[in-house]
Amino acid sequence: MYPMLTFLSMFYYICLRRRARSGTRGEIMNSRRAIESSNRILPLSVEVVQYAKEVVDFSSQYGSENSLSYTMWNLSGLPNVYPSSGDFTQTAVFRTYGRWWESCPSSPPPFRRTPRSFHSQEYVELAFEEAVYPTAIDVLETYHPGAIVRILACSANPYSQTPPSEIRWETLWAGEPEKVNVSQARQFTPCIKQLDFMTNLIRLELNSSFLDYYTELDAVLLHGVKDRLLSVRKPSMLDLEDDDKDDHSLEFFNGQITGIPLPEYTKNGYFEKLPYELIQLILSHLTVPDLCQLAQTCKLLYQHCYDPLQYVQLSLQPYWAGLNDGSLEHLQSRCALVQFLNLSWTGNRGSISTQGFRRFMQVCGYELVRLELACCHFLNESCLEVIAQMCPNLQELNLSSCDKLNTQAFCHIAKISGLRRLVVYRTKIEQTALLSILNFCLELQHLSLGSCVMVDDYDVVASVIGAKCKKLRSLDLWRCKNITENGIAAIVSGCRLLEELDLGWCPMLQSSTGCFIKLARKLPNLRKIFLTANRSVCDTDIEELAENCPRLFYVDILGTRMVSPAALRKLLQFCKELCLLDISFCSQIDSRVVQELSANFPNVSIKKSYTQ
Amino acid sequence: MTRVRGHESSEWEVQMSGRSDLIAGGVTFCVRKMAIVGLQFDGAGRVPLRTLGGAGMFSVLSYGRLVARAVLGGLSQTDSRDYSLVTASCGFGKDFRKGILKKGMCYGDDACFIARHRSADVLGVADGVGGWRDYGVDPSQFSGTLMRTCERLVREGRFVPTNPVGILTASYCELLQNKVPLLGSSTACLVVLDRSNHQLHTANLGDSGFLVVRGGEVVHRSDEQQHYFNTPFQLSIAPPEAEGVVLNDSPDAADSTSIDVQLGDIILTATDGLFDNMPDYMILQELKKLKKTNYESIQQTAKSIAEQAHELAYDPNYMSPFAQFACDNGLNVRGGKPDDITVLLSIVAEYTD
Repeated sequence: MYPMLTFLSMFYYICLRRRARSGTRGEIMNSRRAIESSNRILPLSVEVVQYAKEVVDFSSQYGSENSLSYTMWNLSGLPNVYPSSGDFTQTAVFRTYGRWWESCPSSPPPFRRTPRSFHSQEYVELAFEEAVYPTAIDVLETYHPGAIVRILACSANPYSQTPPSEIRWETLWAGEPEKVNVSQARQFTPCIKQLDFMTNLIRLELNSSFLDYYTELDAVLLHGVKDRLLSVRKPSMLDLEDDDKDDHSLEFFNGQITGIPLPEYTKNGYFEKLPYELIQLILSHLTVPDLCQLAQTCKLLYQHCYDPLQYVQLSLQPYWAGLNDGSLEHLQSRCALVQFLNLSWTGNRGSISTQGFRRFMQVCGYELVRLELACCHFLNESCLEVIAQMCPNLQELNLSSCDKLNTQAFCHIAKISGLRRLVVYRTKIEQTALLSILNFCLELQHLSLGSCVMVDDYDVVASVIGAKCKKLRSLDLWRCKNITENGIAAIVSGCRLLEELDLGWCPMLQSSTGCFIKLARKLPNLRKIFLTANRSVCDTDIEELAENCPRLFYVDILGTRMVSPAALRKLLQFCKELCLLDISFCSQIDSRVVQELSANFPNVSIKKSYTQ
Repeated sequence: MTRVRGHESSEWEVQMSGRSDLIAGGVTFCVRKMAIVGLQFDGAGRVPLRTLGGAGMFSVLSYGRLVARAVLGGLSQTDSRDYSLVTASCGFGKDFRKGILKKGMCYGDDACFIARHRSADVLGVADGVGGWRDYGVDPSQFSGTLMRTCERLVREGRFVPTNPVGILTASYCELLQNKVPLLGSSTACLVVLDRSNHQLHTANLGDSGFLVVRGGEVVHRSDEQQHYFNTPFQLSIAPPEAEGVVLNDSPDAADSTSIDVQLGDIILTATDGLFDNMPDYMILQELKKLKKTNYESIQQTAKSIAEQAHELAYDPNYMSPFAQFACDNGLNVRGGKPDDITVLLSIVAEYTD
């Protein structure tokens, strides 16, 4: 017994000497504590616990750019709200929740062949001070928890000066989006996988489809150790599903296996006798990586799997982690007929270069009808130039959160005259480029200008929209700060087909000018109207909407003090198709009224958020 | 830039700074520690000294000049230390009728905050305008939220120490970003101590204010901003129907100043509840009693000032500064002015981590 103890303590002592540490940090955000082994001989290793230092990237946010309220800024540093729960300004909130945006008529249909394991709708990337081998991750959710569906870690250090040669993303945890019954604050600590590299860059992916309201996050804690724990801890019992391979081990995408000679025997039995179209139909249910793997089996299936008709709809967003120039090049040969292409979230941190993208577009751009490029930070002016040149049939373009695009880049979009849907949410588009797009893209039906802070005068933009975009069906002017009643008047007079209008957080609109009454009277087809945080919305406006817009199904009048229960009752009675009504922070509407209205109108989802 | 801070530094410790004191200090070091033997002092790759060997008028004169600079340079050792504010707060709400337990740093409709950041110490007071109560609005909500937002901006480092008006503007804009429809108005007074420059940057909107006291004398006082009697400049958020009617001053209308401060300076930041009830000489009398610079003594003094002001406010025969001013304007009144009182008392001291 004693000799063994002596031997063990000698062993630990030698190990500790090798790992000499040089003093502690005084930072309040980080702490170190020693984990002691069960028989308390000596500390085994030092656990580092850190809050996020900085948010480096994210897909969307509720708050205004440069604000502290409801923005991703709040996710870094210490928690501000936890363990309280409620709708607070000091938390990180994404722009959307639930299914309300997906089920709008204006929203495009989802891409086919999305793997079942890919649920992510939003993401946020956090950098921490010190790189560690993660042992646990805590996410403090303070409102409507349950949205986190995936946690990943990156091998690259966002603070290093030299760009890393190889960037790996490993999934630490993946799960289904859940609906947590109690909307109270909780600390979410899933069981994470062990990594074989150190990381200080963590990515959370979220899906809030099942949630009743916006999910809000307060802070993220990363527990880790500086030295890799090998067999000290019991191996993680968690066995991640096999579809984990889908997103990371993408060697087949890069054509690294094409060198293998295909088996000669072509006697595929009766399978060969099936009509070509039938095999194509069967294969159309496979996800793209499966298709690539299937191509390796025999010549017949190789021919089928490389048939460009299988790639008419191609969504590469689920594979963002491993997609690079090589993958695009490898796919090029099959994608000449691609019509719906989703490259959202891909190519960041240098994995896709401008040249690679240009080459791909040059080969595959001709038939493109829909192109999703949300959060693609590799995009620059020459990429948009090649899109404008090579995609004459393009109708839908999504450039959401592409913040590296300068104003010259947007001018190229004006050349795409057949454009029907344009999303430039959270980009730096400027007024001149926007006006030229509006002047030349006369087919526009769906336009999203949310949080475009570089546009100087929205009234001018609105008057051009009213004059030129006669076919407009949905318009998103979320946080278009300086639009006034003149702009609204121009829009509603010109765009008579308008069905969806988002005027959330536009503080210059005053109900006293009659702009909302005019809006209601001129847009009889109106289905969605968001007047979020417009403090002047009053009973008259609600009554006019009730009388003139019977097809309304989504209404948001958060934060007004001037709307009474009677007006709401009228709205609910007249608008039989209403299914979403957000009356959070409307001071005349208390919970009793909400209960009464919900009971009388059970098909309507009435949202009343609260701070405490 | 390495710096010796936080404790008494020996006169002859070498300090690496970007100024010519380096040369003086370096020479002093050389003079004291070694004989003058033509040393090439290269202090961090800067101007090398010429060798001082050899006789001759020129070298004697230059030696004398260098020694003189060294001595003078040695005397100004304190310049490179960082300053900080040791602050205590005290206050009284106007009356205790509501009995609602407010979060700390709220006295009636007044609110205040004290925040630390690596580059600066920031204090603020805000006096909520009580008239909103008649319209069903809680006046303390606006001032409290304004101060807490300022504190958050400072803690997160989203400010520039030389621009306190910027903090006010950003904080006011954040109030407008809140889902909750805030209403109300308040004055605001922010005081920022820039640690390394040893300067006090201030922004004052309205009738709250601050005093800087040095050696028992007021060396600086803020100016009141009033539109007319008892109507100070104020930040406000009004309901939409009252937009044109309610007084709403822009944060840019705030008065901003920058003052040099020294160790031992006393800064008193307060709302008008103090200044309207206690004239300067009484305040100075109380401050004279402040002997030590630790937190407890400052807290004690702040408390006594606030208590005294609170007593005087309810004295019907006392000729308060407020009554004096009213008389000067033709209103024949006497007595104190019952109001919320908030006092933040700070002393400039050396920065310790």
